[in-house]
Parts: sequence; structure tokens; C-alpha cells
Amino acid sequence: MTFEELTTYLTEKFGDKLELLETGKFEPFFLIKKENLVEICEAVKTDDKLLMDFLCNIGAVDTGEKFEIVYNLASIKKHIRFDLKLVMEYKGAEVDSVMSVWIGANWFEREIWELYGININNHPNLKRFLLPDEWDQGHPMLKNWDAPDFKRMPEVE
Amino acid sequence: MTEGLRTEEFQVNMGPHHPSTHGVCRFILTMDGEVIVRAEPVIGYLHRSLEKICENRTYAQCIPVMDRFEYCTSMSCNEVFSLAVEKMAGIEVPEYAEYLRVIMLELNRIASHMIWYGTTALDLGAITPFLYSFREREDILDMFEMTCGQRLTYNYIRIGGVSRDIPPEFIPKCKEFLATVDHKIDDYERMLTENPIFMVRNKDVGNLSPELAIAYGVSGPSLRASGVKYDLRRDDPYSIYDRFKFDIPICHNGDCYDRYVIRIKEMRESAKIVRQAIEQIVDVEPNTGKMVKANFKPAKGEVYSRIENSRGEMGVYVQSTGDTKKPLRVKMRGGSFNQLQVMPELVKGVKIADVVAIMASLDIILPEVDR
Amino acid sequence: MELIGIFEYLYEQLVATGIPQVWVDLISLVVSAVIIFGILALIALFLVWWERKLSADFQQRMGPMLTGWHGLLQTIADAIKLIQKEDITPTKVDRPVFYWAPIICFVAAFAVYVTVPFGKGLIVSDLNIGILYIVAITTFTIISLLMAGWGSNNKYALLGGMRSAAQVVSYEVPMIVAILSVVLFAGSLSMVDIVESQALIYQWYIFRMPFGPIAFVIYIIAATAETNRTPFDLPEAEQELVAGFNIEYSGMKFAMFFLAEFINMFTVSAIGATLFLGGWQGPFLPSWAWFLIKTFGLVFVFMWFRWTYPRLRVDQLMEFSWKFLLPLAFANLILAGWMKYSGWFNW
Repeated sequence: MTFEELTTYLTEKFGDKLELLETGKFEPFFLIKKENLVEICEAVKTDDKLLMDFLCNIGAVDTGEKFEIVYNLASIKKHIRFDLKLVMEYKGAEVDSVMSVWIGANWFEREIWELYGININNHPNLKRFLLPDEWDQGHPMLKNWDAPDFKRMPEVE
Repeated sequence: MTEGLRTEEFQVNMGPHHPSTHGVCRFILTMDGEVIVRAEPVIGYLHRSLEKICENRTYAQCIPVMDRFEYCTSMSCNEVFSLAVEKMAGIEVPEYAEYLRVIMLELNRIASHMIWYGTTALDLGAITPFLYSFREREDILDMFEMTCGQRLTYNYIRIGGVSRDIPPEFIPKCKEFLATVDHKIDDYERMLTENPIFMVRNKDVGNLSPELAIAYGVSGPSLRASGVKYDLRRDDPYSIYDRFKFDIPICHNGDCYDRYVIRIKEMRESAKIVRQAIEQIVDVEPNTGKMVKANFKPAKGEVYSRIENSRGEMGVYVQSTGDTKKPLRVKMRGGSFNQLQVMPELVKGVKIADVVAIMASLDIILPEVDR
Repeated sequence: MELIGIFEYLYEQLVATGIPQVWVDLISLVVSAVIIFGILALIALFLVWWERKLSADFQQRMGPMLTGWHGLLQTIADAIKLIQKEDITPTKVDRPVFYWAPIICFVAAFAVYVTVPFGKGLIVSDLNIGILYIVAITTFTIISLLMAGWGSNNKYALLGGMRSAAQVVSYEVPMIVAILSVVLFAGSLSMVDIVESQALIYQWYIFRMPFGPIAFVIYIIAATAETNRTPFDLPEAEQELVAGFNIEYSGMKFAMFFLAEFINMFTVSAIGATLFLGGWQGPFLPSWAWFLIKTFGLVFVFMWFRWTYPRLRVDQLMEFSWKFLLPLAFANLILAGWMKYSGWFNW
């Protein structure tokens, strides 16, 4: 399936629940709403033409203004790849777990919860993960967080 | 009666400094005698916050950081990040540099599988194979050293090309290596493949069904051992892999033995690719590409690029805002991360010795998990 | 050159001094004990060096090279280092058990040599139950391993100790049954009688078809397990149990376990050579030389195993012993008994 075919297919299938981002010019990035997340994931996984059974990666982004969460999906049988993206405000950031769709999302979501402080609903095992057990210095991947002894790289001209 | 005889479960902390957890991983094993009831991996002992470090550097400066992401196959780490940025900035890599990349990637894959072979044998109690495989790995490292001066963290594949051309003595040395590597792999196979003790330790141990493997995101040789023919070099081609003829070995039981067989076969296939690349590279005009400067700034965009690493799918997600020289976000994804995640499913009800065998066969290394 | 002549000469000199017979016996016993202890300690040190050299050869390395000729003094240097080390006793251990375990292991390893014939007449005491004595004494090792495992108050050590107890007990049985078939033919439990019953090369029990080779193979396998060596080195499986029963030991106590292990390997090889390969019997060379050649040959086989094979899992190990080795050993014993009774091959 080419880029255009995929985009038309997905926009037809989901209508206004899904929107192609302009940053997705290299590969399709679709913006979705977090209420529809699990529903859309379930749909793309079970759809006969897509079969997105492989969850490559989940990454959170702190843009400095908002949180983004990116789901990189792939299909093993159909050789399709595209990405879904959520955008949310800092305040009360939370997202539903997609573990019911891809069980391998478990650790990715734990990492997001720990390093960004985004709450994951319906996640069975939100425990300390990469950081030490007694960690109490907030969420280190946030843009406004710096380690106490952190030295910036000199600027490149 | 059996209720009355119930023995007490106890917990064993396997790691973080344990000889066979391949780095610093800790398993909290709940055991009933020697049988494992539950296993919980505890990671983070090797967490260096590479992603945060990358956010503080320019794109070109990120490459040495990527080296540390998965130090057994640093070339792949360089490649995956370069691919992402090249895609975003629309940089064309010259053909010659692509050939060099493929040669380095595949040699690095062989070297990585040699580490895996040695440590697997070591984890099962056979010490000698370890030294055999490291002897050949030494040849590969010598080749890398003569090319880029490094033996572990190469920093060779850069955005836009490679850092320097291969020296004239590289090709003869490589040909010499390729001429013998198949015999050396035969040697490896003679030591373990048909060894009854090795077979009894690995057959039907840690069976991973294809459904479970896909659901957990297991990739690479471990996935192919479960019967899923999925190799990114063919199914989502990057670089110039579509020019080479090679097989994708596949097995169907998904046990430790199959994962062993797959990796052994993959070493031979990688050697095949390098052989073809060495033949073809002489006809290509030497041009190692124009490396980007440290102050290089790609356009606004985001990319998730992925390649087939020796431990499965290695991916990196890069987002650029377009107005700074530094990436907004670099998210690394290593195969070991998902392979370790599936471990608790595989080790339920096995003996403590099998934990070691299963972990070795999945080829988990911890820097890739903790980043 | 038969060494026994020297000892007989010394003994006569001692008698000629006219001291009471009790003192003569006591002195000769003490002297022979000291000599055997010294020789065995040297052999153990040599074996450590030899194992390192052999493993280096198998792995295309050099091995120890710096201390002495080809690193020959390396083990002595190591031993000196271990003696100098602080002897750490962790706070939570069961002190008496922890303290005595290496000593028992060490003593048991040496006590075996009372009835091992090093050459013609070179035996401390030719007990009429020699082989039974050896089998009984070697079992002491299990107790010490269990003590070490329990006394260390460490889970890995406990697992190692338990494993070794289970393993040694399971492999003791087929080993004794294999030995029994030899005893049946020799008609004696005395080590000297067993050796003398195989004066000619075709009389060696390994060549007595068909029971001999089978018994020999069973013995070698069981002996490998007895001495906790690869592929049966589960009690100290480094990759699973870190170091097994001796994980908490350091300094000289560790060295005692370590040396006892090599002595035990020499012991099983010596018994194997005595029972199956004709002991000191052989042409041209003096008897003690033949004994050493055969024993070191078997030691080489054990080392060869170690540097070639991976390790079995604990349940597979038990299965192999009880479901395969033991029935085979019993069938072999019946075969040997029938051969002895019918007089076939009874040369």
C-alpha cells in the first residue's frame, strides 16, 4: 500500500477521528484524540487490509508546551507502517493503556509514566522502572527538568 | 495430603551482579525448590539517560551517544540514527558510502552473533566455545580498527555518509576473513549443534509461540525462530539491501535450540552479503559522502526509522522542530527491551538453569534495555 | 627402580636401632602419612597448573606463563596469596558448621589414600576391605558440601549444597554397582588383590568383554559427577548459582575446597586406573610410574570433558542417573555374575 492509498483508506475508514499531520511528510503520522485511542488501535489491528499486529515503539514527547505520545505501528503480514499521535495538555495528562491491544505496550507505558508523569489508565503494573526505587526528584524527561550537576554542551555556531 | 506437604516458596535475587545476566539485570525469582513460580525483571541499573543527553546535543553530536545505546553493534546504532535524520533532511547518501555501510553493518552483525554464541555456550557451562568465537571476532574488530580507529564504539556511520574511506589493506583482510569464516562457523557447530547435552538443554525449553512473540513485539532472530518470516532488510528495505541475494533462515518451534540455529545460519547469510558487497564495491566510484556539520539543522518533521539489528528491530524516533540545531526528542527502541519483557512468560515453571538458557538464547543485553 | 626398596631399607634400619616395635610402627606410619600428604599436595598443585595449561591449549591461549618455567610456579604463588588473604567469616553464618566444612572436605580427600596402591608394595595399609573403605570415605565429601551450603546462610550456597548432595548420592549408586562387577571378578575387596588379578594386559578389567568396558564407562561418568566436574558441575554452576556451595568462603578455607576438588579428581582417576587399567601393572617402567601414567591419563580425560561439554540441568542429571545409568549398571552386574558363573572369558 502506498502512502496515498494508506492515507485515503484510513481517512475513509475513520473519518474525522483521524487527521494526517503535516509533519508526516516522510511517513504517515496521524493525529487522533485520546478518547478514540483504544478503539482505533483495536480497529487497525483487526482490519483485514491493515493487520497492524506489531507495536514497534511508544514514545512520549515534551514539546515545551504540550505532551505528545507517538505510537509507531507496523504490520508483519502487509508490510505497512504508520504512526499515531496524541496531543495533550500538561495538566492532568493521562492516556488509556493499549495493553489490551498489544500486550507488549506494558513497559513502554511504564516508562512514559515514570519519566514524563503521564498517567496511564488501566495499566496493571505502574511501578518504578528505570529510575532508582527511592527516586523523588520528579520526572527527568520533562524539558524543564535538569539534573543538579548538569552542564550544558557549549553551543555550536 | 499434598496440601500438608506444601513447601515454602522463597525468593532469590538473581543479579544485578550475576555472571549470566549479560549486564546488570536483576530477576526477582519466586521459587518452589528449583522451579520458578514467578519472575520479575528489575531493570534500570544501566540507565544512562541517553535520550535526555541527545536532546542537549546537535544532530551530529548525537552519533557518539548512539554508539553507547547498544555497544555490541554500534554500527547499527549509528546507521539507524543517520537514516532517520537523512530521511528528515532529504540527504542523499552516495552509493559507495552505502556499500561501506552495508559491509560494516553485516560484519558487525557477525561480530555480535559471535558474542552471543560465546556467551550462550558459557551460560550453559561450556567455556571453550567462548574463546573460539572471540578469536574470530577479533579479526572483525581489527578490520574496524583499521577503518575508524575504534574497536567498540565506532562512530563511523555519520549523517550523510561515513566518516572516512576504508584503508587499502581492508579489502584483502576482509576477503581473507570471508574465506575462512564458514569453516570457523562449522567449527562452532561441531562443538554445540549436535552435542547431546546442548540439545537436551535447549530443545523444548522456552517455547515462544508466534502469536505471543508478535504480541510482545519480539523481533529479529527470536521472532524468526518462532516461524514468522519477517526481516526488515527484505520487508522494509533500507540502505541498499535490495541489491543482495541472501536467505532469511526460519525455524518453527520457537525454542532455545531454534533460536540458536537461526543465529548460526544468519552469520553465514551475513557473510554472503559482505562477499557480494566486496565484489560490487570495486566498480563504484569512491565517495564517502559529505558529512553534515555540527550546526546542521533539518526541517520540521518527525521520523521513526528502523533497521534489522542482530537483536531484533532497532528503531529510533526523532522529532525536529525545525528552528533549533538540537532534536526535540530522540526515542530509542531496542530489540532486547521487548525480548526481556517476554521473559516472565517464558520462565514460568522452568528450573533456574533454564532461566539462564532462555535469557542467553533471546540474546538480551542490558544497555539496549536501559538506554 | 622400585621405590619400595628404599622404604624397606629405611624400615630395616629403624628396626635395627632396637627401639620397641610399637614405636617403629608409629614412626613408619607417621612418615608415610607425611610423605603421602606431601606428594598429594604437590600433585594437587600440579593438577591446578595442568588444568590451566590444558584449558589454554584447548582454547588456543597461552595460559600462565610468567611465574616459573611456563608458569609452573603459578599455583604456588596463588596458594601463597590465598594463605595471606584475610579469612572472612560472614556474621550470619552457622559458625561451627561453616568452620568445619572445608576441614572435613580436605581430610576426607586425603584419608582415601590409605588404601590406594601407588605401586608394587607402595600402600600404607592393604586393608582387606580396601575398596569399600574408599567408597565410604569419599562419601564424606557430601557431608562437607552440605555443611558448607547450610552453614553459609546463603541461598545460592544452600541450592548448591542441596544439589551436590542429591547428585553425589544418585551417582554413588551406579558407581558402586560398576565397582561391584569388578570386585565380583577379582573375588576380593582388597586393592592389591584386584591389581594382582589383572597381571597381563588382556586381563585388565576394561578388556574383559563385554562387561568390562561398560562398567568402565559407567564408572567414568559417575566419577565425573562425583567430583562435580563438567558436564555435572551443577553444585558450583557459575552461571546459575554464582559459585555454589563455596560462595561465602575466602582465603585458605576456599583453597581447601579448591585443592580437595583436585585431590578428589586424582582419587577417582587412581581408583579407575587401579580397578580397570591394571593399576601399577606394566612392562619396563617401574610400577609407580605406570600407576602415575594411567592415573594422569584418566585425569586428562576428565579435564577434556570439562573444557568441551556444556552442563546438564539438575532434573536431567537425576533422570540420567536413575533411569539410565543405574539400570544399565545392574544389568551389567548380572551379566558379569553370569560370566563369572559360566566361566566364559574367565581367563
